[in-house]
Amino acid sequence: MIFNTFEYFFWFLIPSAILFRLLPAPYKPGVCVAFGVAFFVYFSWVDLNGIAAAACILIFLWESIFSRLYRPGSRWCLVGVVQAVLILVLFKYWNFLANLFVGPGNSFTWKNAFLPLGISFFTFEFIHYAMDRRQGKTEQGTFFEYLAFILFFPTMVAGPIKRFQDFLPKLRKPSLDAATDWRVGITRILCGLVKKFAIADFLTSVTVHLNKGDVEAAPKWLLLLWLFAYGLKIYFDFSAYSDIAIGSARLFGLVVPENFDWPYFRRNIAEFWKHWHISLYRWLVDYLFIPMGGSRVVVPLIYRNILLTMLLSGLWHGAGLNFLVWGLWHGILLVIHRFWSKSRWAKTTPNRFGIVWRTLLTYVSVNLGWAFFCMDISTALLFFRKLFSFPL
Amino acid sequence: MKTITWLKQLLEWVGGVRESGPPGLNLKGESLWWSLWWFLLILMISVFCGQSSKFIYIDF
Repeated sequence: MIFNTFEYFFWFLIPSAILFRLLPAPYKPGVCVAFGVAFFVYFSWVDLNGIAAAACILIFLWESIFSRLYRPGSRWCLVGVVQAVLILVLFKYWNFLANLFVGPGNSFTWKNAFLPLGISFFTFEFIHYAMDRRQGKTEQGTFFEYLAFILFFPTMVAGPIKRFQDFLPKLRKPSLDAATDWRVGITRILCGLVKKFAIADFLTSVTVHLNKGDVEAAPKWLLLLWLFAYGLKIYFDFSAYSDIAIGSARLFGLVVPENFDWPYFRRNIAEFWKHWHISLYRWLVDYLFIPMGGSRVVVPLIYRNILLTMLLSGLWHGAGLNFLVWGLWHGILLVIHRFWSKSRWAKTTPNRFGIVWRTLLTYVSVNLGWAFFCMDISTALLFFRKLFSFPL
Repeated sequence: MKTITWLKQLLEWVGGVRESGPPGLNLKGESLWWSLWWFLLILMISVFCGQSSKFIYIDF
């Protein structure tokens, strides 16, 4: 919940944003840190329990101390990357991997496993900082500036995934145009809440039917309707979240990266990914795709890099085989698109009909993929068998 | 195409994505319009907030 709670706005956001604006520059990181700690302790306590709150704070404290070792070219940066990945694997994937490799009900299962709030996002910021410090792409910042970066609560739960080199200058010199910032910020927050409550939550009442029992009984047209409703729901839900996060940051006078730019109106799958969860897409390109060789290698290796990047993106979205298949689906679509875009047929400029056709094709392809995102594999396969009338 | 771009800019402006409105939009009494828009948004939030569920992308 968090962003649609009274506590978020009146206990944390508004007091911290006002204090941040009123206090002189040297104290601003302190405001982010103090409210960030209080935010994580409070919401971890409310939504999980005391252990989760303690784990969060310990992770942040350890990261902020350890990251002081990072220097351009230093191996400590690589250690930092490894430990961030290990933290993510331990909390998010331990039971998934144990079940996958040892089998269900094994003795390795972590029975009281819990997920520290925002772990998928803050570990990505840890990795970004370590890698960019190693390559000399960002300055170190002070201890409190880095803590303010990782504990900036409007973006820490589910992004947008920030970059330290973008955040630091704004933290040191935030916007002074409070009137515009608050008008734009409040409008963005209110629109985000409307998108969440009026549209995404309404669509939830439609998409709850995407389960085995209902899928078995539903006619084809209804299956399609549910799936397209899910595609809209996930867009409105996550873009609503991003609106609230970006609007909240704006109240501080800080501009954080955008996450969505009309993704469903794009003409191909590559364009879709450039405009869907933009901060994640850029992270994947910079810290996964390019280090693997990106597109500066021979063609088969480019395809391998695309597939691996999207497979890992799928796994990042959730610890389940269905998310891997979802990632693979997008990887295959991107490979097909790349193959097509390099062919001679793609060189012709599309007319109006061609543009509409390509946009529709992209929209349908993306939406078919959501089946693997919102259902387990067996239910998703049943869904497709029914949709395309495959023999049961 | 120009109309679509203009509409997109208008929607982004009223959605708080852009700071300024689309070119050629002369709105008199802007504060009043913003107040009305916020009132409408708050009204919609009040009407629909009962069906709240968790955000999909938040880890729990």
